[in-house]
Amino acid sequence: MTDKQLDAGDLDALVLRELSRLPVFGPSRGFADRVVARVRRPQPVPVVLLRRAGAWVLRPSRAVSLAAAYAVCVAVGLRLAVPWLTAHAPAFSFVTSWVSTQAKAALDVAALTVASWAVELGAADAIHSAANAGPRLWAALAALTIGYAACVYGLRVLLRAPRRKDALASAL
Amino acid sequence: MPTAKDLQSLGDREVVALAKAGKETAYRELLRRYERPVFSLIYRMVRDRALAEDLAQETFIKVLNALESYRPEYKFSSWVFKIANNAAIDQLRRREVDTLSLDGAPDARTPDEVEATALQATDRHESPLAELESRELGSQIEHAVGKLRPEYRTAILLRHVEGRSYEEIAEVMDLPLGTVKTYIHRARLELREYLAHLRT
Repeated sequence: MTDKQLDAGDLDALVLRELSRLPVFGPSRGFADRVVARVRRPQPVPVVLLRRAGAWVLRPSRAVSLAAAYAVCVAVGLRLAVPWLTAHAPAFSFVTSWVSTQAKAALDVAALTVASWAVELGAADAIHSAANAGPRLWAALAALTIGYAACVYGLRVLLRAPRRKDALASAL
Repeated sequence: MPTAKDLQSLGDREVVALAKAGKETAYRELLRRYERPVFSLIYRMVRDRALAEDLAQETFIKVLNALESYRPEYKFSSWVFKIANNAAIDQLRRREVDTLSLDGAPDARTPDEVEATALQATDRHESPLAELESRELGSQIEHAVGKLRPEYRTAILLRHVEGRSYEEIAEVMDLPLGTVKTYIHRARLELREYLAHLRT
């Protein structure tokens, strides 16, 4: 092909043809994995906002300013709150004692309701009989524990398998 | 969730939408579509395989991390090539790179590797001698392309190797359409000059 005489048009056509036939090169194996590993995945909006707020706050100059502002707020708050609490101590203690009495009464009512419901359902008898059947209870607990441990071990083995496969694939 | 096979039938915009939602299969599909053309363009620009791989990696990380800022009215391929071309041009401005033979991939160490990565001429139905000549010609053209100015090189590679339209090349290079046509015309004239010895 190159031995014969070529005019400018032939040469141009030849160049264009050969350009279109140039090979497409590819990056090395694992290129896509390396890229994907370094890509930041989109995160839910609250997470992004929290991360941005954290990054904004954690800048040294801002962190110092915010800490100083916080300290000033606490000092001013205490300066106002302590005299007020001192001045209103009797009223404050009356309200506190009334709230605690009401809460205790509500708790007593709730405990009585639960106890009477348990007696009505026969749960108290069941617990009593279970306490008498000690060996069977221990056997059931042991079986439950062994079953749980077996499940944990099985899951661990199942989750490990693909990792080994990946390691083999990347080694090849 | 669409599988990798399902994604192959989707257009770039749909795949980008899925990637924006954080689907890893969509990231991988975009990489599968563009890793070779982008790598080839960068490799032919900087002519250093390791460097080209680093730049291609940076290009894709930049593209995939900035998908939120991608505007669907532009072609995704133009956007990717634009980022790749900018990375290559920046690199060329930073350092002068040596030209090297592309008879086989530069990292090919054994004759088999050289053979496997060399210019492919097997589908041309030519005689072994014609194949050999053609392969030699391809190598000379690679060298001639390497001598072009970076702007001409980008334009001619995108047009005649990647088969992109003039409009897309103008978008990639951020140049007016007329300038792109001029670049490609001049690049072809220069290639003809570099390969003038073939006429004798």
